[in-house]
This record gives sequence, C-alpha cells and structure tokens, in this order.
Amino acid sequence: MGKTILEAKHITKLFPGMKALDDVDFDLQEGEVHILVGENGAGKSTLSKVLLGAYKPEGGEIFLDGQPLKLTGTKDAIEKGIVAVYQENSLVPYLNSAQNIFLNREPKTKLGLLDLKKMNDDARELLKILNCEYIDVTKVVSSLSVAEQQMVEIAKALSFSPRIIVFDEPTSTLSEREVESLFKQIRKLKAEGLGIIYVSHRMQEFPLIGDRITVLRDGKKIGCVGINECTDAELVKMMVGRDVSQVYVRNKTDFSEEALKVENFCDQDGRVKNVSFNVRKGEIVGLAGLVGAGRTETAEMIYGIRPIASGKMTVFGKEQLPKTPTSAVKMGIGLISEDRKRQGLALNESIAQNTVAVSLLKVFPNFFVNNSKINQIAEEFKEKLRIMMTSVGKKTRFLSGGNQQKVVLAKWLSQDPEILIFDEPTRGIDVGAKMEIYNLMDRMASEGKAIIMISSELPEIIGMSDRIYIMKEGEITGELKREDPDFNQEKIGELMMLGGAE
Amino acid sequence: MEKFKQAIKESTAFYSLIGLVVLVILSSIIAPNFRTINNMITIFRQASLLLILSSGLTAVLLTGTMDLSVGATAGLVGCVVAQLVKSSISVPVAALIGILIGVVIGLINGTLAGILPGFIATYGTNWVIAGLGIAIMRGQVIYDLPPSFTFLGVGYVGPIPILVIFALIVVVILYVLLTKTTLGRRIYQYGSNPVAAEYSAVPTRRIVLSAFVICSVCAAFAGMLMTARLNAADAAMGDTYGLQTVAAAVIGGTSQKGGEGGVLGTIAGALILTIVVNVMNLTGIPAQAQGLIIGSVIVIMVLIDTVTRKRQENKID
Repeated sequence: MGKTILEAKHITKLFPGMKALDDVDFDLQEGEVHILVGENGAGKSTLSKVLLGAYKPEGGEIFLDGQPLKLTGTKDAIEKGIVAVYQENSLVPYLNSAQNIFLNREPKTKLGLLDLKKMNDDARELLKILNCEYIDVTKVVSSLSVAEQQMVEIAKALSFSPRIIVFDEPTSTLSEREVESLFKQIRKLKAEGLGIIYVSHRMQEFPLIGDRITVLRDGKKIGCVGINECTDAELVKMMVGRDVSQVYVRNKTDFSEEALKVENFCDQDGRVKNVSFNVRKGEIVGLAGLVGAGRTETAEMIYGIRPIASGKMTVFGKEQLPKTPTSAVKMGIGLISEDRKRQGLALNESIAQNTVAVSLLKVFPNFFVNNSKINQIAEEFKEKLRIMMTSVGKKTRFLSGGNQQKVVLAKWLSQDPEILIFDEPTRGIDVGAKMEIYNLMDRMASEGKAIIMISSELPEIIGMSDRIYIMKEGEITGELKREDPDFNQEKIGELMMLGGAE
Repeated sequence: MEKFKQAIKESTAFYSLIGLVVLVILSSIIAPNFRTINNMITIFRQASLLLILSSGLTAVLLTGTMDLSVGATAGLVGCVVAQLVKSSISVPVAALIGILIGVVIGLINGTLAGILPGFIATYGTNWVIAGLGIAIMRGQVIYDLPPSFTFLGVGYVGPIPILVIFALIVVVILYVLLTKTTLGRRIYQYGSNPVAAEYSAVPTRRIVLSAFVICSVCAAFAGMLMTARLNAADAAMGDTYGLQTVAAAVIGGTSQKGGEGGVLGTIAGALILTIVVNVMNLTGIPAQAQGLIIGSVIVIMVLIDTVTRKRQENKID
C-alpha cells in the first residue's frame, strides 16, 4: 500500500443539540479502499461531507499530502482532487450523459459556442475508462438504467481528475450483477493509485472491495481494522455496542382468547384470494412471503383501506367488517404501514403532532385541544422509545429513519390498539433501532396485545413470530408454529416460492 | 412570553408580520396622515370584509386545495339576504338563511373538490354561483335596505365600526378553530400529508368538507355585511374580492401546498393589502396605477416567503 494521501485529525462537528462528530481521526492511503461504517446517524455521512468540504468542522485538522488543508467548500475540494459519487443520483435527468458530465464547464469553440464534438468525445473517453463505451453519451440520462446512470456519475467524478473519490452508499439501488461491475471499476481506480472512501452498511460487500474499515458510533471513532482482522459479529458489535446474539427477543407468553379471525378474504383485483388466519391475544403472528404476495394488501383490508370483496372478519368474537381506517381503529385495530414517509408521517408537522395523529380524538374527546398536553405525551414517548431529537416541536423530517419509525410507533402506542399490524417495521433502519422495535413488540405481546408482523427478512420473522403464515400470489400456502420441527428458513422459503404441498 | 416569541418566530406568519411592520413604518413616513387614529380605524374598516373572507379561505388552503368561489358566494348571499330583508323578513331569519346557503355551497364545493382539483371545481362553481346571483337579481340593483339591517354595515359601537367588531370575532373564532380544536389539527394534518392522514384514521372526506363549509360560511357572512355596508345589493359586488382573498392568504404565508400557514399570517396579509391601497389613496396615486403596485407587492411578498422557507428547509437537511 502506498503513502498516506489524506489525514484527518481530531475532527469535531457540532449540529444544534448534538455532536455529529467527536474527535474523529481518519486517514486514507494511495490505492486503498477505506470503508466507513456505522449505524444511521453514527456520523459517517457527516465525516465524508467534512472531507468533501460541504461541512466546516468546528475542530480538528485535515492534511492533504502532509500539508494542512482548509477547504472553503465543495468546489475547493474538487479543485484539490476530492470528489464524491452520491447514493442518490445528482444527475439532471433531462440532459444527456455528456451534458451532465461537463455541466457548467462545457468546452467551447473559439467563437464561444458549445463544442459539442469535443464534449461528446471527452465523455466517451471517460466512459471508456470505465469499460462503459456502450453508453450512448447523447441519450438523455433518464432513459439510462440506474447502474448506467451511476457509471455516468463516476465518469463525471473522473472528469475532475481526482485523487480521492468518496462513494456514499453506491450500491443501494443496484442489482447484484451491477454491483459486481461497479466493484470492478472501483478496483481499477484503486490500482491506478486513487484513494477511495466507501461509505456503506452492507457488510457482505466489505470483503469484496475494502482494505480497511473505520467504525463510527454516535459520532465517535470506535476503531479502524484491516478487512481480514475481524469477523462480521465483531464488526456489528463495534457498530451497535452490544452483542448480536441478543437481537431477537421473544419471551414465550400464554396465548389467550382469539383477537382477530379472518375468513376467506378476497379483494377486488385478485391480489388477495381466500385468505384465512387468526391471531390471539399475546401472540405474534408473522406473514411471510415475497414482495407482491398479498401481505400488505391483506393488512390494508383488515385496516379498512382496501375494499373487501368477500369474506368474514371477527374481532374479539364480534363479526364486523371495517369500511374505513376510522372504523378499524374503533374496533381496536392499528396498522404501522410499510412506507413511513408517505403513509406514516406528516413530515412537515412536528414530532409532537405526529405522535397524537391517531389518538387525537381519544386524548381530546371534547373538541378542544391543549398543545402542552400534546407536548407532554410526545415527551413521554420520547423517553419510552428513546427517540433521539432536540425537541418535540421540531419537524419530523429532520429525524433519522430509525427515529422517524419510532415516532410512527409512538403514534400507535398513544392510541393503544388491541390488535396491531407491523408492516415491514424495520425496513431501512439501523441495527440498534431494530432491536428496540423487537423488544417493544415482545413487550406488547406479553401485555396481551395481538400482533401481526409482515416482513421480508426471514431471520427477523422467524426470530419474532410464534406462528407464521406464508403467502404466495395472494394465497396462504402454509402455516408453521414455533414448535414445529421445520420452523426454519428452508421450509418457509419453499412455501414462499413453490407454494403448499397439495 | 419566551414561548410566544419562539412560536411567532417559527410560524410561517413571521415574514408577513415583519412585512406588515415595515409597511406601517414606511407608510407613516410617506404619508403623515397615515398615522391618525381616524385613518387607522378606516384601515381596519376597509380590511374587515377581506379579513373575514380570507380567514375562511385559509381553512381550505390548509387542506392543500383552493376555493375560487368566495367572491361569487359573498355576492349571491348578499343579494338573497337583501331581497329577504327588503320583503320585510326579519334580519336574524334572513341572516340564518344566508348562512345556510353558505353551508350548502360549502358542501357542494367540498364534495366536488374531493373528486376534482379544487382549483378547477371552484372556478366552475364560481361561475354557476355568480350566474345564480344574476338570475335572482334579474340584472337589477336593489337600494334602500331597512336601517335595522344596514346598521350592521355602517353602525358604530363607540368609535369602533361594527364591521370591525364582526371581523375581529370571525378572526378569533377561526384562529381558535384551526389551532385549538381537533378539527383544526386534522385540517393541518390532512393538508400536510393526505395519505398519512388517511392511514392515521382521519376521516379525510369529512375534514375537506368541513374546511369548505367554514370557508363558504365566512363568505356568506361577508356577503351580508357587504350589502349592509353598501346599502345596496348587486350580483357582481363580490367579484373584486375573489382573487384579493387568495392574495391575502398567500401573502400571509399559507402555502397552497397545504398544512402550512394560518390565520395569523392571513390577518397580516389582509392588512398589508389594505394598507397599500390606503396609502396609495392618501398620496394620490391614481386608481389606474394602483393595480401595478398591488401586483408587485403580492409577487414580492410571496417571493420572500418562498425563498426564506426554502432556506429554512435546507438548513438542517
């Protein structure tokens, strides 16, 4: 490995109410891929933004080739050879690849007109370095695949002749094959002596691409290890700060009366067909299946959002069908929907107001509301769910994914339904928050709530459920109990893919 | 007090309130007679109908849609009530009928706005309502209404015009309704994210209907007062108010995207519009030139509001 290009010492970055980075050291060598890892909110994006000149740190120094470096902004960083490839495309969708690569610094002819020929040739040249000469540089970017767009983005980064490239979660939108070709390009850049900073939390990728890993947690550097020096479990422990064997908590409870029974549910467009199942008080029932198997649709029928074409539903012994979410909530049913930004939260409303979004009429049955009472309820759940925030009056959009999900939970806990459906409750949130949600589900079940959990992560659904129904193409293909000998990934996978034995 | 300051600063009304203060200071310098108590009372009297109309419209804007029919609604109700009191039906009964017409129009607008974009739906109903007004009046103008009725528009309690008192009452009711009641909270909630509101078991249809009813009832009330003030009724009398009402609310920082803004800003917006006109009259700017200035004020205020809000949103992201 070569000499050190970039070195950051004692970097501290403050945000209102929190230390995003606390005395963090980092260094990058020539021809190295240095992975930055940590939970959401651990500070990895903040650190990369500091190195890219997007944030000015309150403390610490950065050295480039041993010389102190004071960045005045991203433009300055680019001039010094530090560029970024972001997770979400920063390309202009309606311009073509060449226009995007040379946006704002288009080559001109002597007359001052655009030199289209030179621009296209140079763009082709850059894409050739990436083995992507098949991309037509004159095609608008929106017509390219996500992976191709990413290559254009890298080509753009290369056009600055950088020495350091920061990749921020580059593979989150790519398929496996595309990831492989991206890695090939990264290895090539590395061989040319560039320093690569790779921000990610996909652990399975690390051995394929990385040389060293720096782990951040709560804005602090926890450690820096060589890629072969530690196991996955050790890495997770560094990230989370506790042992992973404790991830799934399920204290066996006695199931009492039946809370919800669904019989022969069918919807109008054939996405749910003859679905029947039940859930008892104190029980966690999993709905497993591939995306599109009809699990979310079933949940939405129970919750009164999706029209029910035929079927029966019994809630605590009383046969009734929900017509709207309002009537479902009256029956004691709640749904934590899978898309928290679109369906779960009003992002521009405060955390406090979101907390009482469902329970408003329950808390204030007499028409008038009392805002300090709302704040008080929100404070309660902030403590109970350990929601990290500066104030309950802040807009929900400013929270991290995991904390937003906790606000959605708070919203339902303050309503306190007897039957609660969790649809992909841990999607896109970090390990620590996941574990807290598992703990909460377990506690709710032991308090006698009936819980339905929809998840595409098999370890999670196996870890948490007392019983699992497996769905495929709108139908239930099997039911497994925790005590069954084949309560495992293989059997569930089989039922998900192939359907029932009959 | 600290809390109050914080609330003001974080509210979307902040910039329109600053705009109002700056405007008052500038006006006092430009037109010395602006500062007189008499002129202040005049301003509030001139602003009162706009305040009632635009406070009501704020409820609709907060749900993320639009009502373009408030001017026509005011006109129609004004005409109907004028005809009723003229045919010696008692003022309270006539007023009640006027309000009921407002409720019906609100229900129709709200139902349509649940299906079509509110902007289009109410642009249409605006014409229909205006047409009804013309039909009822048969193109005529009614004069000489009974004093027991016109008193509402021209009377005074001490030095304060009754109109101003009515406006104050409506503004306070709407402020409380929108910020201190479950209905108001749900209007904000719905406007901020309609899909999330539905998933939060908010009866969304009913919320939108309520907002439109609130808006049309305010328009109906303003229409009656308009007639009482003019001591005459004409089907076209509400026309000029239609877009001014929208302008007042928007200047006040209530975004058409829904969920943001409120009555506080709308009050500032209505006063800003009224003061600009007042000062132009005081300084003798010809009426033909006034539109140009009003238009500029609207654009500038909305520009400031939009730019500052964008900056705030980017601040912590």
